[in-house]
Amino acid sequence: MPQLNPEFFVSQLFWLAVFFTFLFVFLWRVSLPRIATVLEKRQNKIDENLSSAKELQEQAMGIEKKINDQINKAKLETDEKIKETINALQEDVSSQLSSLDKDLEKKVSNAEKEILKSKDDQMKNINNEIANITKLTVRKITDVELSDGEINKVIETHKGSFN
Amino acid sequence: MAAKDSPLKQFEIDPISNIELGGYNISFTNSSFAMLITVLVITLFLTLTVNTRSIIPSRMQLISELMYNFIAQLLSDTVGDNGKRYFPFVFSLFMFVLIGNMVGMVPYQFTFTSHIIVTFALAAVVFIGVTILGFINHGIKFFTFFYIPGVPFYMHPLLIPIEVISYLSRPISLSVRLFANMLAGHTLLKVFAGFVVSMPFFTGVFPLAFIVALTGLEILIAFLQAYVFAILTCLYINDAYHLH
Repeated sequence: MPQLNPEFFVSQLFWLAVFFTFLFVFLWRVSLPRIATVLEKRQNKIDENLSSAKELQEQAMGIEKKINDQINKAKLETDEKIKETINALQEDVSSQLSSLDKDLEKKVSNAEKEILKSKDDQMKNINNEIANITKLTVRKITDVELSDGEINKVIETHKGSFN
Repeated sequence: MAAKDSPLKQFEIDPISNIELGGYNISFTNSSFAMLITVLVITLFLTLTVNTRSIIPSRMQLISELMYNFIAQLLSDTVGDNGKRYFPFVFSLFMFVLIGNMVGMVPYQFTFTSHIIVTFALAAVVFIGVTILGFINHGIKFFTFFYIPGVPFYMHPLLIPIEVISYLSRPISLSVRLFANMLAGHTLLKVFAGFVVSMPFFTGVFPLAFIVALTGLEILIAFLQAYVFAILTCLYINDAYHLH
């Protein structure tokens, strides 16, 4: 078996030592640090991206919260405004209603006064009319010319009966 | 069978250039050439594929990273945090054995891992290194490694020699395992290759098909033996840190 031939043992050991030492030193000093750098760089990149993603998520959550707060605030404000407007409108309506009532009352009382006044006027006219009619009727029937004084005297005496 | 057709002929060492240093023959041989190819393949591959250092790796870079992570994971699983400083050594050992085996799978290429002197030298480096490490970490207490706690006292005269022998046989088992696997595999391939030529008519295709299947198996074994070599080295390093 050639493996047990010691002729080349020293040669084998020598070149093994040379090549393996070279390989070890080269990998230790050159190749492995390179790969380690790449892996570390990648890990850093991943960590960086993860942390920035987390940060962005937090920011998004903060913004969402802000938006919700603002929406709530806006809702409250709107409710307040609606309430205020309703109240103002109600006040306005009631004040207008009351002023209308007053107006109407005034108008009604004025109308009543006018009616009374016109009634009085009418009553005065009625007396004159009655006197005229009486005078005309008497003259047609009896050809007697009654003076105004006489007629008024009669009317005054009967006033209670047709009033 | 004539000597030139022996299945063991592939393991013979042929000097490429004769060199002598201090009375020792250190000729550059086909074995040294295979080592040179192995070292070149490893260093060039690991250097060129990671040359761009891109965060999104190319396929070739990914292979380098996978190998790196494979051994890093192996070390952290077996040794833990202490193992990190031995990573370059274990990685070099794994790659040297793995690519050495793979280079050996190339037809007409020499397999230096099929030589017991080479595997024994590697195993001896591991064994001596781990023993020194054990004494550095534990001092004289490292001898308690052979003392198994929780065993009846009268068993110790039996168990302590067994433990010592098993410890001392580590480099032998480690080296012979790799050497024997490579030797057996390549011999088998060679034997069946001889059948392909010597069998009559077309029947040679049967051993040929067998060789194809066997080559797949040998590639698996090439990886497996490198893995076993690396994981046992990790376990031995772990033993140097944690006594029983």
